[in-house]
Amino acid sequence: MFPKLDPLLHSELRLAVMSILADVTSADFTFLKKQTGATSGNLSVQIDKLAAAGYVTVEKGFKGKMPCTTCTITPVGMEAFQGYVNALKDYLPL
Amino acid sequence: MEQNKEMTAQESLALIAETVNNSRKSIVKRSGKYMLVWGIALTIVSLLVFILWKSTGKEAWNYLWFAMPVIGLVPSYIMKSKETTHLPDNTVSRMLSGIWRTFGVFAVSISVFCILYAQFGSSFFTSLAIGVSLSPMILLLFGMAETISGVAVKNTSIKVAGVITGVGGIILYYILGNMSEDGIETTLLFTLAGIVLALTGVILQIQNKE
Repeated sequence: MFPKLDPLLHSELRLAVMSILADVTSADFTFLKKQTGATSGNLSVQIDKLAAAGYVTVEKGFKGKMPCTTCTITPVGMEAFQGYVNALKDYLPL
Repeated sequence: MEQNKEMTAQESLALIAETVNNSRKSIVKRSGKYMLVWGIALTIVSLLVFILWKSTGKEAWNYLWFAMPVIGLVPSYIMKSKETTHLPDNTVSRMLSGIWRTFGVFAVSISVFCILYAQFGSSFFTSLAIGVSLSPMILLLFGMAETISGVAVKNTSIKVAGVITGVGGIILYYILGNMSEDGIETTLLFTLAGIVLALTGVILQIQNKE
């Protein structure tokens, strides 16, 4: 019996965002947008979903006069991401 | 990137690997840019000290070394302020930054101590009764910082360059020092170190081309 994959993470864009955030201290919205190649609207919706699940925290502030949204992975999010990667391994003959 | 695309397990793992890899590349590439700036700053200052010291014979030109932080920090600050995307820090960039900051703190502290020792040694530091040779110590620290950077970014050329600059630099220091009375030529070892640091920056930029 294969373990169930976290449906919240089993989505291309959300998984990409979580992969980046798992590797860095925190990342701002423009960096995530550049790395994922997603549109602002789509990325914003997906980040909100991750934030609602408690996987990431979103901090809105300013850098100089420019608005800046910073995302950070939470311990819950990190655990979910690690669980997802471990579950993936069961699907593959590694 | 689509949010609802059905992915196989293999595709998911590939996506994670690719995303993390691309993100790491942009972050480490930025570290390379700063190393290039500091390498150029070190090369310029060491050449300036060498030329001025050699032409005037005045050892006081060595105080120009204290301009290094300014010459390196100003372009670094300008570069940072011009970044269109604020790049986050990851383990490698934090490690590189930590290694070179530690080197900077040690190098400046030892330099200040050596100057105080040379100026007031007899009155303030007699009880310490030590002799310090500044240049080889800094070259050794530099070589260690460079080698550890090579370990952090998993690059053999950088590791080897660190050993050559650190160990080879000390050997050359004593060879060059014995060749002339004033040892002005030993300043050129820091030019070599500056070139090594700048090349490290170039290697990191090429290695992490997006």
